[in-house]
Amino acid sequence: MSDTERPVAGTRGNAVWAGLALPGVAWLCIFFLLPLYAVLCVAFGTVDPLFQRPEPEWNPLLWSTSSFEFVVDGLFTSGAAFQTVFVRTLVYVVIATALSLVIAYPVAYYVARYGGRWKGLLLVGLIAPFFISYLMRMLAWINLLQDDGWVNDVLMWVGILDAPRNWLDGRASSVILGLVYGYVPFMILPLYAFLDRIDRNLLEAARDLGASPFQTFRLVTLPLSKPAILASIVIIALPMFGDYYTTDLLSQSPTTSMIGNQIYLYVLGGQQIPVGAALVVCLMLFLAVFMAYYLIATARAQRRVGA
Amino acid sequence: MTALHPRESRYGRREFLGRSAAGLFALSSMGTLLAACGGGENGEASDLVLARPDNPVTWKLYDDNPAIASGLDPEGGPLRIYNWNGYLWPGIKKGFAKEYGVEVEETYFSTMDQAITKITEGTVDYDVFIPTPDRLGRLVVGKILQPINHDYLPNLGNAWASVQDPWYDKSSLYTVPYLTWTTGIGYRTDKISTTPEQLGNPYEIYWDEANKGKTYLLDDSRDAAGHMLLKNGITDINTEDPAHIEHVKEELKSLIPAVNVKLSTDDYTNLPEGRAWVHQTWSGSAISAQWYLPEGTGPEALGFWFPEDGKGTIGNDMMAIPKSAKNPVLAHHFLNYLLDVKHGYDNFAEFVGYQPPLTALDPDKLVSDGVVAPNLKTSIVRESDFDTGYFLTELSPDGQIAWQNAWAEFKAGV
Amino acid sequence: MTTLEAPLAPPRTRSRFREWWANPWGRPRFLLLFTVLYLAWSIVPILIAIRFSFNEGRSRSTAQGWSLRWYYEDPDLSVWHDPDLRAALFQSLRLAAIAVLVTVPLGVALAIGLTRWRGRAAGASRAVSLATLVTPEIVMGTAFLLVFTHLLRFIELGTAAQAIGHITFSLVFVLIIVRGRLLAIGPEYEEAARDLGASALQAVRLALLPMLVPAIVASAIVVFAISMDDFVITQFLSSGTSTDTVPVRIYSTGRTAPTPALNALATLTLAITIVIALVLFLVWRAVRATRGQTGSAVEDFAALETEPGR
Repeated sequence: MSDTERPVAGTRGNAVWAGLALPGVAWLCIFFLLPLYAVLCVAFGTVDPLFQRPEPEWNPLLWSTSSFEFVVDGLFTSGAAFQTVFVRTLVYVVIATALSLVIAYPVAYYVARYGGRWKGLLLVGLIAPFFISYLMRMLAWINLLQDDGWVNDVLMWVGILDAPRNWLDGRASSVILGLVYGYVPFMILPLYAFLDRIDRNLLEAARDLGASPFQTFRLVTLPLSKPAILASIVIIALPMFGDYYTTDLLSQSPTTSMIGNQIYLYVLGGQQIPVGAALVVCLMLFLAVFMAYYLIATARAQRRVGA
Repeated sequence: MTALHPRESRYGRREFLGRSAAGLFALSSMGTLLAACGGGENGEASDLVLARPDNPVTWKLYDDNPAIASGLDPEGGPLRIYNWNGYLWPGIKKGFAKEYGVEVEETYFSTMDQAITKITEGTVDYDVFIPTPDRLGRLVVGKILQPINHDYLPNLGNAWASVQDPWYDKSSLYTVPYLTWTTGIGYRTDKISTTPEQLGNPYEIYWDEANKGKTYLLDDSRDAAGHMLLKNGITDINTEDPAHIEHVKEELKSLIPAVNVKLSTDDYTNLPEGRAWVHQTWSGSAISAQWYLPEGTGPEALGFWFPEDGKGTIGNDMMAIPKSAKNPVLAHHFLNYLLDVKHGYDNFAEFVGYQPPLTALDPDKLVSDGVVAPNLKTSIVRESDFDTGYFLTELSPDGQIAWQNAWAEFKAGV
Repeated sequence: MTTLEAPLAPPRTRSRFREWWANPWGRPRFLLLFTVLYLAWSIVPILIAIRFSFNEGRSRSTAQGWSLRWYYEDPDLSVWHDPDLRAALFQSLRLAAIAVLVTVPLGVALAIGLTRWRGRAAGASRAVSLATLVTPEIVMGTAFLLVFTHLLRFIELGTAAQAIGHITFSLVFVLIIVRGRLLAIGPEYEEAARDLGASALQAVRLALLPMLVPAIVASAIVVFAISMDDFVITQFLSSGTSTDTVPVRIYSTGRTAPTPALNALATLTLAITIVIALVLFLVWRAVRATRGQTGSAVEDFAALETEPGR
């Protein structure tokens, strides 16, 4: 057990560590927290009547809620645009995350437990997507999914399809699979890292007590992995909420647009930037719940380790 | 004002009409703007007018912003051009550089907003600039552009009469025309069973269910709306009538269940590569599309429909010389160079695909030269189209907001 | 068993199969197949795209010979000769270099500091540092755009803003990797150094940092790769074609992608990233050989831990 968190001997200890962390924390305050505040101020601000450039309101006491009213109205009125898109995004993210988990866990499990000699090579294969531009991977797939692309060729040769199918005609399944393809590598690595560190003795003990491999997995490995699974879900689901380019590349149809597309339209659309900012704020509020869970769980785990 | 320059969405962020209009004057509050800017440095508030085809404008000339004198020698360069990406044939730059013995540099912008900000900042001095009519008023009144001395431009006579003396700049005081385009309907002759020409209302081709999953509109709120308005016989495509906006929204939405409509601005490749069978298309794209056809498919596979009587969506842009140009005489020569028929033709045929409004470039010549396939003759903009066509110009702030919200609702796929 | 017995008759096939099936340390065939299929699904499309970058003809979907046409031979459209593609490549490299040079030191200091720091402020700082990991990029892109156009106006959109954006969102990856290593290393080495008279900072510099080298190398590689791959933030903060990076260029011309030059561009980006990663890895290996240390950068890389190990 690591006891790194035990205070290292020394009187001024804490100040030294605070000092080391300071540049990074200051950077994040200026270039992460401040921009988020700027979004708030633009969302609660007004527009100049002439050019409709946003006029952010830096003083919270003077915040105007008109943009928010518009957004909230759209989010909570059934059948309205924002609500439809938001619900659709939620559905896509849930399905894509679930699918990613179904793919990521077995792969991570295999490499962690049975990698053996090949572990290094397998890891390189798992890490490779990080080095390959996401867009290039998407493009490669778009190429394969064309009417005359390999996917159709293979499926027809095998006999599953009679005629080429238009995978890129704006169907939700293409977008969801695209999301899975893009985000699954980010899920595999944290799961692998965790599964790799599971104490083999625990598994052996279970076997000694008479559990079958499957029971060992179900009763020991799986419960142990729960925190890692939850954390990896959060890591890919939250960024997936803001995705807009997957549907742009694979679909281009309004029926698969996600909340990211609406944000993009308003933030870069010129007249109603505060509405876009308000959408961003609402999205963050929704995600904050899950974000808080993640941050608290991480902090708790660290304390468990021996802080 | 043109809704969106065809190059604007292709290479950069899709800054729509709204954002570009944000950098402009508003219908109701122009005066306030100019008063705020101050009188002496810029023009008076009353100078700023909204130009419309039925309300042509002659811009004022200012004493402190004179045109250059006639008969001067061209400077030594380098000539600095500020333009959209992919909108000027490198051969032109090379040819001009050789003829005048100067260097030619080109810088790109991806949105008109960004371009104007850069020029007004004054950090870089460009000699030639390619604006759109919707920005002209501000540029003139803000004394960003210098008046043009026509003595250096004998080739101006090569352009269409109506475009030498356009509604947005009578007597071409500050600009000369660059390229022009129309927005029509492109289609694959070898894939669709009913062509727009065969329909009573050609715009109804968009609802043809035989092309489900293969129908595209331009991802541009104003152009797409334009076609919906014209389909319903509403010719004021700059309308702000809420009833019209609502109607257009319903029309757009009805396309989703009918044909699962898609949105894109890559018309010049969607059609030839078979992703689209029916695509709202800019005329220049229809011409460029020929060059992206796969092997074995000839240009007769493409078609382009634009109203015979010229009553469709049309747009154009101009060349101008910023006041801060370091090489104004050279710049004038460059403008003249591009107005030359051969150079304009080469620029169009070799690279850009969008045509210059020059009289000699009539549709028959372009077809007979093989630049444009015979079946794409309709994509060549005719002189008469300039007079009969409908220009997308700017709207009031409320109008812009209303259209943006309608467009966002459509794009939400509700 | 001390006496030899007659060899047992070979077990019946079914129980042999059962044994094979029940062996907990045997290699599960199904999982292996699944993993192989996943790797194929993940990587094969890339290999195909790379193949087409060497196409002789213009097609991006049918094999048409082999040539380096799209890399440098074609006088107008190849990556070398097309100024836009070349500029995109250089912009990507520029941003990635800046990102690595700034983020790694910043992140290492942050990781060491945050791991040891006590107190409420420390906890809050840790939370803030991790927050970027779970923030959607469109949120960050919007936030950056708005802050640079309305508040921090002296930072113009373009390379400076993009660099800041890259540094900000890669910081957390350095943090996680280095923290993971720190927790595994433990405080013993520093304590030993302190016992021998070193101050806290000296102990960090002389005892801890050398041990962190694998993690530092891994995080440098990660930052480089992430920066080369970033799309959303770079696009939002771009000031025009001259500040477009490879992913942005691919996106804006990708759906249409007239020529395989785009494939060539992406392949080059991949090759450069791999080369940089290899160089860093080999440098570290050489250093490590002379110092006799343990630790695997590859494992550190994979240990993008979300929760510290047990």
